[in-house]
Amino acid sequence: MTVQATTIMPSDTTTDELGTQSIPAIKAIDLCKIIDDRPILNGLTFQIETGKCTALLGANGAGKTTLMHILATLSSPTAGQLNIFGKPITRSSVATRREIGMIGHQSMLYRDLSALENLIFFGRLYSVDKPAVRAMDLLHRVGLADRAPDAVRTFSRGMTQRLSIARALMHHPKLLLADEPFAGLDVPSVLAVEQLLADLVEEGCTVVLSNHDVGRTLQITDHVLVLHHGQVVLDTPSGSITELQITEQMCRGPEGMGST
Amino acid sequence: MKTVLRQLWFLVAKDLQIEARSHQTLGLVTVLGILILVVLGLGLGRQELASGSSATAVLWVAYLFSGVLCFEKTMSVERQDGALAGLMLAPVDWGLLFVAKLIGNLVLLGTLVIIITAAGVLFLGFNVMAGFWPFVIITSLGMLGFAAVGTLFSAAVSSSRLAGGLLALLIFPICLPLVITSIQMLLSVFRDANEIDSSGLAILIAFDCIYLVISWLVFELLLEP
Repeated sequence: MTVQATTIMPSDTTTDELGTQSIPAIKAIDLCKIIDDRPILNGLTFQIETGKCTALLGANGAGKTTLMHILATLSSPTAGQLNIFGKPITRSSVATRREIGMIGHQSMLYRDLSALENLIFFGRLYSVDKPAVRAMDLLHRVGLADRAPDAVRTFSRGMTQRLSIARALMHHPKLLLADEPFAGLDVPSVLAVEQLLADLVEEGCTVVLSNHDVGRTLQITDHVLVLHHGQVVLDTPSGSITELQITEQMCRGPEGMGST
Repeated sequence: MKTVLRQLWFLVAKDLQIEARSHQTLGLVTVLGILILVVLGLGLGRQELASGSSATAVLWVAYLFSGVLCFEKTMSVERQDGALAGLMLAPVDWGLLFVAKLIGNLVLLGTLVIIITAAGVLFLGFNVMAGFWPFVIITSLGMLGFAAVGTLFSAAVSSSRLAGGLLALLIFPICLPLVITSIQMLLSVFRDANEIDSSGLAILIAFDCIYLVISWLVFELLLEP
């Protein structure tokens, strides 16, 4: 079995099985990023459909976090074009940032503020209606309602991660970038977050999920993008590929698939 | 415009709320400032300080070193746990992040200047009432330019491992015209009992305007999550 990285569609719209056209959530063309003369991303071309959960997989150093930062508008690509919901993205895309939520390696929270104060602060920056109500609702969803008045510095790693997820969802993002959201979580919390992500996709949110547990990720995503040395080596529906094939692609790049 | 002002208020209020809760910046920089004052005061002797010429210079040395530490601490709050990335993700113009941080730094610097000057009056016998309003005007203009430069460079070097030392190395040479002009003007007021020198005032205002605009424009280019 040979799976090629898909070529980008020439237009800005995709057509689903019912024939309806929709703008892809993310469309990247020849995306490059060079840091300290070292190419991190090498001409990435892919698109991610709206309302789907897409896995972004790759070995350490494959370029996943760099790509996530570019998708979140935190960093600019050295070359190439990136459209999010049909709009070209730059670092100053203030309006588009309103549509994006991100869970990163760090919590992006203030440890001297309480859980509730953190969420209300970020909610206000996004002009969320009734931020206190929204914050308490999310704290219930991530199981931290009883710790709402406590300072974040008193939280365990797992609790901080759950609060970070609540922060990312505070403004009802249409695109959620989740860079290893399960890091530091125990099994019940992982299941709860998986359910939360599934609910979000059900509600129409587009989720891009980076995770090291390939088998688990295949079960909860619709589509898989595999990066190897800053290039897309696999772009395929999750149901059409096995964990072993993905692992080989992650380790050996484009030639990995040919050996199976 | 209303949204921008609201966002600015939320950003400044957050910084002040964190400081009010942790006291991690003001407590530390105040102790450092008073220590510098006392050590230099003891070194120079009361007779030297009584003229008012040395006292103004000593006060500025305390403002500068404490100020650099202040900029470093306020920016480190944003670096802890990647909070700065959280701000950069929000639909906020990144120039506004600079303005908010600048206002927060100015509030802390203002408090610091009041405390250190009071300590100068107490320990060095500095007679601030001999030229109170000129002192307020000159120091305020000096602190505005100092805070603009400090806020910009603290953002630039905060991700560096050498942050503390590097920040002082960058800020002090750039602020040299500001420091020299401020001290010369204060000497003229307190030692020679002159009015405020208008050419000196023009230099301070020009420095402030230039660095406020440059810092606001460049700040977003230097931000890295």
